Amino acid sequence: MIQPVLDARGISVHYGGVTALDEVDIAVGPGQVVGLIGPNGAGKTTFIDALTGFVRHEGTVRLDGVDLKRKRPHARVQAGLGRTWQAVDLFDDLSVAENIAVAAHRPTLVSTLRELLGATLPQSAAVASSLEALDIAHLAEARPRELAEGQRKLVGIARSLAAAPKVLCLDEPAAGLDTDESAVLGQQLRRLADDGQSMLLIDHDISFVFGTCDHVVVLEFGKVIAAGLPGDVKNDPRVIAAYLGTAAASISGERS
Amino acid sequence: MQNILLFSILGLASGAIIATIAIGVVLSWRGSGTINIAAGAVVMVAGYIFWCLRTGYFAPALMMVPAVLLTLVLMALLAVVVEVVAVKPLRTASPLARLVASIGVLLLFQAAVQLVFGTAPVDSPAVLSAEVVEVVGVTVPIAHFILAGVVVVLALALSMLYRFTRFGLATRAASENERSAILAGLSPDSLSLANSVIAYVVAGLVGVLAASVVGVSASTLPLLIVPALAAALLANFTSFGIACAAGLAIGIGESLLFYASTQSWFPTQDGFALPGMQQVAEFFLIVIALWWRGSSLPQRGETAGRSLPPVPRQERLVRRAAPVVLACAVALVVLPSDFRQAVTTGLVATVLCLSFVVIMGYVGQLSVVQLALAGLGAFTVSRLGTEFGIGFPLGPIIAIALATVLGVAIGAAALRVRGITLVVVTLAAAIAIEQFVFANARWGGGQTGAPVESPTLFGVNLGADASFPGLNGTLPSPLFGLLALVGTVVLYAFVANLRRGDLGRRMLAVRSNERAAAAVGVNVRAVKIVAFGIASALAGTAGVMYAYNYSTVSAGSYGIAIALTLVASVYVLGVTLVQGAVLAGFGAIGAVVPLILQKWVLPQDQISIWVQLIIGVGLLVQLKLFPDGLLVGMELKKERRAEHKAQSEPSVVSPRVEEGVPA
Ligand SMILES: Nc1ncnc2c1ncn2[C@@H]1O[C@H](COP(=O)(O)OP(=O)(O)OP(=O)(O)O)[C@@H](O)[C@H]1O
Ligand SMILES: [Mg+2]
Repeated sequence: MIQPVLDARGISVHYGGVTALDEVDIAVGPGQVVGLIGPNGAGKTTFIDALTGFVRHEGTVRLDGVDLKRKRPHARVQAGLGRTWQAVDLFDDLSVAENIAVAAHRPTLVSTLRELLGATLPQSAAVASSLEALDIAHLAEARPRELAEGQRKLVGIARSLAAAPKVLCLDEPAAGLDTDESAVLGQQLRRLADDGQSMLLIDHDISFVFGTCDHVVVLEFGKVIAAGLPGDVKNDPRVIAAYLGTAAASISGERS
Repeated sequence: MQNILLFSILGLASGAIIATIAIGVVLSWRGSGTINIAAGAVVMVAGYIFWCLRTGYFAPALMMVPAVLLTLVLMALLAVVVEVVAVKPLRTASPLARLVASIGVLLLFQAAVQLVFGTAPVDSPAVLSAEVVEVVGVTVPIAHFILAGVVVVLALALSMLYRFTRFGLATRAASENERSAILAGLSPDSLSLANSVIAYVVAGLVGVLAASVVGVSASTLPLLIVPALAAALLANFTSFGIACAAGLAIGIGESLLFYASTQSWFPTQDGFALPGMQQVAEFFLIVIALWWRGSSLPQRGETAGRSLPPVPRQERLVRRAAPVVLACAVALVVLPSDFRQAVTTGLVATVLCLSFVVIMGYVGQLSVVQLALAGLGAFTVSRLGTEFGIGFPLGPIIAIALATVLGVAIGAAALRVRGITLVVVTLAAAIAIEQFVFANARWGGGQTGAPVESPTLFGVNLGADASFPGLNGTLPSPLFGLLALVGTVVLYAFVANLRRGDLGRRMLAVRSNERAAAAVGVNVRAVKIVAFGIASALAGTAGVMYAYNYSTVSAGSYGIAIALTLVASVYVLGVTLVQGAVLAGFGAIGAVVPLILQKWVLPQDQISIWVQLIIGVGLLVQLKLFPDGLLVGMELKKERRAEHKAQSEPSVVSPRVEEGVPA
């Protein structure tokens, strides 16, 4: 593989005495979509939390060769590490376009001062383009509370996209979407990847992940148990035993 | 050495009260998940009830034991009433609404007691033995030990109750996760009620016992909430033992600080010990406790279900504001002197209230320090003018800068806490500024108030005594009023505009969810600091305008009771809207609404206590009708109605219809 955009090595996270992640290595190359799957409580969300600095972790996180270890969450995001949340947290008092504008605008001291003195800053083009990328331009003026769950998910993704992340970490973007919607989302994500957007994709919808990703990593109890091409991982006996075999039934039940 | 022992023991009495209030705070937190700002006022009420019963104020005097028992029964009843009126209806409201309700209870209790019994403290008949004992050579009243012992026993008993009984376990479960508690068949309402009754009875018992030892005062007892909050913070709002121990320790510490102030090495000024050191120490204790206990971003789960009053869009502001501005301009010229004064004061108070819109409305941080910052600005203008000859415009600029810097420093000290917990720091800061700066004979105004020179620019007087055609000689000058109007309109537009801009969006993002905001690259701390800066600058500006408006600055106008009254009134009128600030401003002490009340409705004297009472009652009624605030509630109704109309037509927001479905 060429020099990865995101290179996370030896990531461990402890919650009190519990080890939620144990020495996890994951790399994401340019334009690559890496899938991260695993049963409930495997530590997938925790991994993204660690990458983006929301939990204390051991190990190194490098983005384009820059070490993010000492940076706080917002600085990691500004450095190019975008993320969405498992439970979408849109800003309720802002319209969809304003939600995205928060991510798209990078304030500087000067711009803030100018604004305090009454200047109106121009709307960033990233707002429109990220709405376009997910085909939700018609929602721009809506309020979050008026949206359906699937739409909220899309807005959440568009919001992270607007910050032009080098790597976009998506936490269960297809949860709450119906089969058709998640198929469309898969296409959209593929299109973004083909345009060069690197992604780390978490989801329980196996066919969605295997259909979208170039590379899949499987976590169980905070450890990587398999990694490789979707086709290989799918047939790995350990994965079938740990994840597909036991959990798939309950997951597909949950999804209906 | 003996003196240190003596003062330590003397500190036990106030320590016992602080500990009791801290226990009350812990009980409310456990029972209903809110910070009960009124916990100190509860002790005061108990003291007054007992005093009435024993001295026969209303009915024949009772013997001691029946009086104590009846007091406790009445306290339990009071707990039920407060629960039904101010806690239960707000169960599903935002924590901010619930906290504001407890401020309402505090204002109500304090105002009611002061109207009935006057503002002077009363001497309560002794309950505890008046005997003295000798401890290692010093003679101390035995009552102090009994009082401390009672509180320790109560704390232990409560710990047992919560650790070992079904009720205690249920309360703990509910305070950790209300939803799962409901699923387990526990009613949060009755748990909250039970905890509240326990809190009131415990406070009542200690209040009665302590009444004769420390005296009963409606102005000081409610404020013991500040050291009690420090103790409760150290106890993480959960441990009775730590709350009790910390409360006693704070009482002892303060007594020792008092002893230290009699020593030659203590910092003095004009031969007197520097005032307010105790409040400054309390403030720093709270800051330290917060750094120790707080964490800088809410952890998972903590964010769920915490909503603040929504921020409606502010549209057609010019059209709405223009008639008001015009009316003010006309009023400033044609109305009689006292009304002109009231309109000007209303404008100045509007500026102050705008600072609440920024920090509380836009960023969701409950700060009550702004009035103190305004006072700081006002005193600075006065001192700069009289002592250093620095007048307009440099003096006001320095004053506003000073208020801003101090406000930002307080905000920075509080960065590890957010939302309603911030009230703890800012309350302590406000009281520290009041006692340390305003009460200082040299920096503050003392009894008489500090004089302020009128602002002049290029030799033209712009102050309240400026000349104005046809109205020369009658204060205040319409010229000053009109200038204040212009300033207020500019700042009003600034705050309204803020909401629409980039910075405002980031503020609302932070308010809505700090973690999600950080996850899109918003520097949460920077946004909060900037918001504190803006709010403090607005407060400082208001302070400068107050100073010029009255031409004198007196500490009494910047006290904490007035500050809390303002916060409460801004909240009930609509803290997320600039219009809310205008309404609250014109309802503030000295402004138009109180003047009308004073002239035609209420007794002439004690108007500020009456206003406090009205706002306290109005607050509680209002929170039931519009928990998000009057204007916000009305605005939302309008928005919803518009949405309904839009929905009957084909909607833009309806789910997309997909063309072909890929395999
Ligand atoms: N704040 C926390 N404190 C303590 N333990 C936690 C915390 N967050 C997560 N955990 C634990 O860490 C483990 C990993 O959780 P995580 O949420 O990362 O799993 P996940 O793979 O995202 O699961 P899911 O598929 O349900 O989203 C779980 O055992 C969880 O209980
Ligand atoms: Mg997860």
